Amino acid sequence: MRYDSDDELDRLLFALPLEEPPEDLRAAILTATVYRPSPIFKPWEIAMLGALAAVVVWLLGVIVLGGGTLFIDTVEAIGRRGLLALSNYTTLGWIAAGGATAIWLSIFTGFQPYAKGANAQRR
Amino acid sequence: MLAEVRRIEPMHAGPEDGQLVTMTLGGNGEAFATLVERYDRAVYHLAYRTLHDVEEARDATQEAFFKAYRSLRTFKPGAKFSTWIFAIAYHACCDRLNRRKRYSNEELPDRADPAPGPEREAIALDEARRLRAAIDALPEKYRTVITLYHLQGKQYDEIAEVLGLPMGTVKTHLFRAKEHLRKLLAAEEVTE
Repeated sequence: MRYDSDDELDRLLFALPLEEPPEDLRAAILTATVYRPSPIFKPWEIAMLGALAAVVVWLLGVIVLGGGTLFIDTVEAIGRRGLLALSNYTTLGWIAAGGATAIWLSIFTGFQPYAKGANAQRR
Repeated sequence: MLAEVRRIEPMHAGPEDGQLVTMTLGGNGEAFATLVERYDRAVYHLAYRTLHDVEEARDATQEAFFKAYRSLRTFKPGAKFSTWIFAIAYHACCDRLNRRKRYSNEELPDRADPAPGPEREAIALDEARRLRAAIDALPEKYRTVITLYHLQGKQYDEIAEVLGLPMGTVKTHLFRAKEHLRKLLAAEEVTE
């Protein structure tokens, strides 16, 4: 066969079949793209977990390096402030008012988390 | 007209490539699967013809689609998806070729197919087989341009876009590639 003419060479070229890709290629592409399993944690969750881990490490470091005194002092200070707040009648009043409002709202909005269990017991 | 024949002209029914891209961006994974179905073979063909290695061609094809999927938002509306994916695949192949050259001081040997068995011997005289062998024997730049010509037809502007070369250079490369091919095919005919 002669290949002098451009048309003849073009005919040959365009008649050339494409290479056969490996059988699992398409599946591999799709698995790597659209069917890729979504990550277990979202980025903000990873950031939160990281921050939590950092706090735990810091606490452990404080306990180990400071012989526990700094940690205990800190916990004591937090506890003292908490007790101080709870011993204030105004604060307790606000907490009670908040709780009562929450219960009152839950009755009228239908959000009753214990209703399901109660119904089940009734049956 | 024969010269107007195009390998990748969308003959498929269904939505246009651009629509499929939009649908994919809207969260429709099946739309991207359709795009993969339409172009995986052509992209693999380009990768294999450029790299001459089944495994590397497979990886380059996968890499090209992965990159395309991740940067789908940068796809310009109105552009041709085939040209875009070929360009990504071509760059993936170039990276692999560069890496190969970096780790090898010698000129890279031609990675021909495994030794021909009796069946292969029998089809060795086949026209397509001879043409493939001739294409494989071309220098890399000519091989790529002739492969894209095979895939995209006479769309010189698109070939130029894929390769990142001026259109004049593409035409020159193509002209020389064809000349080389003619010589190789003629030489083979003489030896037979």
